[in-house]
Amino acid sequence: MQNPILTVSHITKRFTGTTALDNVSLELYPQEILAVMGENGAGKSTLMKILSGIYPYGSYDGEIKIQDTLCRFKSPAYSEAAGIAMIYQELNLELDLTVAENILLGRYPKTKMGLINWEQVYQDAGAALERLQVKIDVHAPVRSLSPSMQQLVSIARALYCNPKILILDEPTSVLTEKETETLMQILHGLQKQNIACIYISHKLDEVFKLCDRMVILRDGKWISEYSKSQGYQSTRIIEDMIGRRLDVMYPKTKKKIGEEIMRIEHFCVQHPFAYGKHIIEDVSFSVRKGEILGLAGLVGAGRSELVSAIYGLTDSIGGTLYFDGKKITHPTPERSIRMGMGFLSEDRKKNGFVWTMDIEQNMTLAILKEISQGGFINQSREDKISDEYFDRLRIKAPDKKTLITSLSGGNQQKVIIAKWLMTKLKLLILDEPTRGIDVGTKAEIYKLINDLAAQGIAVIMISSELPELIAMCDRFIVLGKGVVQAELSKKDADEVSIMRAASCT
Amino acid sequence: MESQGEKKRFGRLSQWFLRKQESSVILVLILYCVIVTIVNPVFISANNVVNILRSTGFTLIVVVGMTLVLITAGLDLSVGSVFAMGSIVCGICCTAGISVWLSMLIGTGVGLLFGMTIGFTIVKTGIPPLMITLGMQYIGRGMVSAITKGVPVYPLPDGFTSLEKISLFGIIPIIVPVSILIAVAGHIVLSRTTFGRSVYAIGGNQEAAKISGINIDRTKMIVYSLTSALAAFSGIMMASRLGSAEPSTGTGFEMKVICACIIGGTSSFGGTGTVLGAALGAVFMEVITNSLTLMKISVYWQNLFFGVILIAAVLLDQYKRALMMRQSVKVKE
Ligand SMILES: Nc1ncnc2c1ncn2[C@@H]1O[C@H](COP(=O)(O)OP(=O)(O)OP(=O)(O)O)[C@@H](O)[C@H]1O
Ligand SMILES: [Mg+2]
Repeated sequence: MQNPILTVSHITKRFTGTTALDNVSLELYPQEILAVMGENGAGKSTLMKILSGIYPYGSYDGEIKIQDTLCRFKSPAYSEAAGIAMIYQELNLELDLTVAENILLGRYPKTKMGLINWEQVYQDAGAALERLQVKIDVHAPVRSLSPSMQQLVSIARALYCNPKILILDEPTSVLTEKETETLMQILHGLQKQNIACIYISHKLDEVFKLCDRMVILRDGKWISEYSKSQGYQSTRIIEDMIGRRLDVMYPKTKKKIGEEIMRIEHFCVQHPFAYGKHIIEDVSFSVRKGEILGLAGLVGAGRSELVSAIYGLTDSIGGTLYFDGKKITHPTPERSIRMGMGFLSEDRKKNGFVWTMDIEQNMTLAILKEISQGGFINQSREDKISDEYFDRLRIKAPDKKTLITSLSGGNQQKVIIAKWLMTKLKLLILDEPTRGIDVGTKAEIYKLINDLAAQGIAVIMISSELPELIAMCDRFIVLGKGVVQAELSKKDADEVSIMRAASCT
Repeated sequence: MESQGEKKRFGRLSQWFLRKQESSVILVLILYCVIVTIVNPVFISANNVVNILRSTGFTLIVVVGMTLVLITAGLDLSVGSVFAMGSIVCGICCTAGISVWLSMLIGTGVGLLFGMTIGFTIVKTGIPPLMITLGMQYIGRGMVSAITKGVPVYPLPDGFTSLEKISLFGIIPIIVPVSILIAVAGHIVLSRTTFGRSVYAIGGNQEAAKISGINIDRTKMIVYSLTSALAAFSGIMMASRLGSAEPSTGTGFEMKVICACIIGGTSSFGGTGTVLGAALGAVFMEVITNSLTLMKISVYWQNLFFGVILIAAVLLDQYKRALMMRQSVKVKE
């Protein structure tokens, strides 16, 4: 076998209260795509951040070698210079700059006068995107791109400085299946260009297809290693990841679908970027108590825009909303919560949690009225309810006074889910509820959703993972071109019929 | 190799130190007081301490409001003008023969109205508070000048001027317990009530707060109204102390107040801060002013001092933020 290009040995990283990595060693061989797998909070991102220099040399024990040279990264700039490029779990683009500016940010070519050579900037950016075989206007502001396009821009950015090692931390959590397919091809292409990859994802099928080898971490410890040539066994792998057997992925609960709880008629919603255009033209549907309604559609079909208008976060241009038999004229989040709606938004970092607050304060944000008397927060009531949910959702943190920013992505999601479970729910809107969540937790969340439905709570669910949507929902509304393309019942719905309706053919 | 244990202990200590900015302010404050006392023992004479506390009182009242404003990631530059407005309105009312209590109520009420206007404009237009309150600073000052034509309201009736001379145990001026009372109330509101929680949430992440059903507009309206009302009230107390309502009073006051909050650990980016810290910041500002005089350092150096301390405080705040942000790293340059 060849010599490894990257050797990580005996890495231990502690944060106050947690050991994120405990004596982890692994190797990366040239031209290899290595998967690092594990549950939320297993320490994957932490390990990658050590490799990329975010946690500088000295803040951890153990050593990193590239080929045979010992690396002591003081900052990301050092690791970049050593040939490591990283795509972070959270997108880190400057939304108001153009695509080209983002790709070359901090590395702008200069003219002889010392000014930025803009012509060169656009040319280089174009070339970088060319390499990925994607067509994106380099002059477009990043804000106007879909999350998947943004992801591609960050990949182009990472590739711009010709890395030897590319680290991708959950790159596909915001991508659709088709885009994931494209990304895989791109990665295979890079493999031929002699780039080794470390790939993190919670999607097993994707990893099985793409990766040559996989390393599994649990609780910061190295657990096992499998290679493609031996063949992957998903039960073994899942067991290694979550430390127990996973019985059923989509647990079934007995439930009765009741009467209608919410109905919209002729909803019309403004396009978020294109002024004067409507992303939703005319949509009507209803949802009933205990029903899980799936909203399907391609990226850009306006699913998220529609639900945030229903919830009252953004204004709708036209249409009527009926909730619990009453006509609601101007929904606001405050009113919606009082009526019994909950809304888990798509972008956790942007509007999911308040990052200056701890777990407990984030959890109780939507029930401040319930846990207070005369405007004063009843501390013991807050403690009691947050303790209950902290344990029930098995949130991995030293305690509930931990700042939410120090949690892993999946655990942050659990905190936000807890926030809504605490309210008096009648309808819960879930926009990509399992984005970036590990298998074990996914199964837990599916169970939670089913339990809610069994209690007679209606659920509207959006997911770009079709298998998940199909397994969970009782009925499907497929959106496309601003209208309802199809309404499918459980027995008519499969991936083919939904995709066909979504692509409007 | 350096000893790992030593390093860890230091890390934990420094983290504790950074997290509790109140305690670091206290430490620095005490240290500073000791030095000044050594240079000039007059510093801790009862008279001087009372003096410091009295002048702190006027700032502290406004600092309580400003802390709330800053925590919502806002800013209020108009407090100096409102301070003058409160004292003028109240002064005019008393001299016109309206009873002292009612005059004070009217003065504070005018401040409240002014603050509501600020809050309303910020909420409805979405223009950054910096711009709006800068405009309102000029509007407020302009109104004061127009009403008084630049002439102080003087003399003020005895019933009014004797107010500030009331003292507790014959030595502590009334402004001290009054301001402490307001600060304690502010502290309780911020740390114990749903309103306080909303204020923190808005500053931390306004969009997340909105989704969670927090009424952003109402909270901001209350915060700005409260701050202006407190500024007007503080101005009234000042008029009572001076025996005259000066149209130019409170010029530059907003900077002193903001400075006190920031030194006390309130983040200029919103989301974090406590009234206790800000109150200590206010004491700190006053101690420096006072001590420079006692140490016979020219007052011209004062502003330089404040500037340096302010920047140091902001740097510390940024570092704290960086610690918190680690998880959601933004890589630039
Ligand atoms: N800055 C920090 N301060 C304190 N603890 C932290 C910090 N960053 C991470 N942790 C803890 O370290 C552990 C590993 O986190 P990490 O983000 O590496 O998980 P992950 O495997 O990437 O999970 P996910 O799949 O959810 O992204 C978690 O328990 C987390 O709470
Ligand atoms: Mg991660």
